[in-house]
Amino acid sequence: MREPNQRISERALLLWRIYGGIQTGAVVIAAIALQIMIQLWDWPAWLVLIPLGLILLLLIFSVWLIPSIRWKRWRYEVSDVEIELQHGLFIVTRTLVPMVRVQHVDTEQGPLLRKYRLATISISTAATVHKVPALDEREAERLRQSISSLARVAEEDV
Amino acid sequence: MSEYKKLHPISAIINFFKGIREAIFPLIVIVFLNGNFSGGSPNWFSLGISAVVLIGVLLSGIFRWIRFTYRIEEGELRIEYGLIFKKKRYIPIDRIQSLNFSEGIFHRPFELVKVSVETAGGSGGKQKAEAELTAIKRSEADELEAVIFQEKQGHKREPDRTENGQERELVFEMKMKDLLIMAITSGGAGVVLSGVGVFFSQIMDSLPLGMIYEQVKGWLQFGVLVIASAVFSVLLIAYGAAIIMTIFRYANFSVFLDQDDVIITRGLLEKRQMTIPKNRIQGLRIDENLIRQPLGFASLTLISAGGSVKTEAEQQLKLFPLINRRELSKALGRILPDYQIDAHLKRPPRRSLRRYILRKSWLTWILAIAAAVLFWPFGVMALVVPVFFTVLGWLSYLGTGFSLVEKQLTIRNRVFSLRTYVMKKYRIQSAETAQSLFQKHAELKSVRVVMKSGAGGAQAECLYLERTDCDSVMEWYRPDQTQA
Repeated sequence: MREPNQRISERALLLWRIYGGIQTGAVVIAAIALQIMIQLWDWPAWLVLIPLGLILLLLIFSVWLIPSIRWKRWRYEVSDVEIELQHGLFIVTRTLVPMVRVQHVDTEQGPLLRKYRLATISISTAATVHKVPALDEREAERLRQSISSLARVAEEDV
Repeated sequence: MSEYKKLHPISAIINFFKGIREAIFPLIVIVFLNGNFSGGSPNWFSLGISAVVLIGVLLSGIFRWIRFTYRIEEGELRIEYGLIFKKKRYIPIDRIQSLNFSEGIFHRPFELVKVSVETAGGSGGKQKAEAELTAIKRSEADELEAVIFQEKQGHKREPDRTENGQERELVFEMKMKDLLIMAITSGGAGVVLSGVGVFFSQIMDSLPLGMIYEQVKGWLQFGVLVIASAVFSVLLIAYGAAIIMTIFRYANFSVFLDQDDVIITRGLLEKRQMTIPKNRIQGLRIDENLIRQPLGFASLTLISAGGSVKTEAEQQLKLFPLINRRELSKALGRILPDYQIDAHLKRPPRRSLRRYILRKSWLTWILAIAAAVLFWPFGVMALVVPVFFTVLGWLSYLGTGFSLVEKQLTIRNRVFSLRTYVMKKYRIQSAETAQSLFQKHAELKSVRVVMKSGAGGAQAECLYLERTDCDSVMEWYRPDQTQA
């Protein structure tokens, strides 16, 4: 099968790295707190290696590897009759949603997404919801318009 | 029929008992934790609280009945209710899918029925538009059904059926023999059988145990025996109760066809009637559990878009709760002739076998080996569990398969029971394939489709198929480009 042809915004990569950074930051704070406790109560000094190792792992995976693999993998394609998505890190998932099954489309934007002019689009059928994360907000807007005008509910549909 | 209508006064009593059922646990806690029964004098405090709660529940039941009205007005079923805040629920008749009737023990003497209104729960089931009329006269219920039917028809065409549309055709019925087999072979039986297994293995294994720990031998044997027989008898009682419950619930099970509706009635003490419009049926699921499959029995469940989450919990949509596998095709043909259930299935390739086995058993192998090492030598007994799951993995490899016949997709898989999903292309909400990097190397792929079921979705998946087979399912599902 041919891959879907559209990629999500390149700014998504930066955004995901920031999310990874925030995670790492939380562990850094925990590590500092642990270091203080070690000083205060004479805990064994090697304990601090645990959060340090965790920070290293987070930097490698959450900040560096995972966002770039995820971004490379994410593809979508919207035609007049169907929506096709592809995503996944280790397990690559391909999803096909016929346009006649689409019931409604939403876009949403958190504060960080807004700062980078990105938006997430959710496509709902009667039974499932499919999300495309971190699209350029103009692209998301355009998609929402076109999908909602294309989506018709067939008579035998739910 | 636009005047305000009230429920039958018996509703107040039913409300009361429903309220008690909800309050029973706190009440027991209050009475038994505070109660001082050994002293002989009753604990007035806890009795007082219980009395207040009971009176409160009774009053709220009465007021709930007083406040509840329903009527049909401007093409809507309008229900107004609420103890303190007045609530109104207006359900457009077009949205009403079916009325389900049931009769409890309070309903019987007065010829009353409980009416549950089922609607096409909107997208994602967020707006829960369903209603329940606790108790109304049978005649009123029939009238309501007729009015709703007329209103619905009014938008499309003139009613083309005879008065009340009572021309039902009996298409399936369960005999007492089937009922018994069903009750005995239900999931509960598995629990009991494994209980029996544990019971005997405990006796066997407590014997060599005694030779090693001579001094604790008697005590250990005794303790194990006592616990095992206690567990065993509890299981046996639960099993017996389950059998009786099943027989009561499914007695007089019959399926009728009425034009485009499938009507299921069942129950001995509490009679139930479910109406499922044919066009709401999204697909079928045939279940064959580990006990029934060797005996050649199966059950068939309708996957329907109507109704609520509750519907599914009560398993109301079993079209054939138990049927001989050979008769299944013929019986279904009388009700839903456009579903073909005996399609020839294409199986996953040989190289998926170890994936099926690993998937089912890896965790139990790790746990059992850990148990064997930690509790040497008796921990070795734990290895029975992963062996079971290994066999299960092998069975699930044998059972899995799919078939594409024109507009119909059949998917079979096994968790414990063998489950066969039969569905039409235009009922599938979305389809996806999944492939891990290892599977990519091995040219394997999994496919999963989602149908609408109740307020949510029902998934059917087929793991580790030949990549090309999986892609062919996707290509089959892909909408025709010229349709647009």
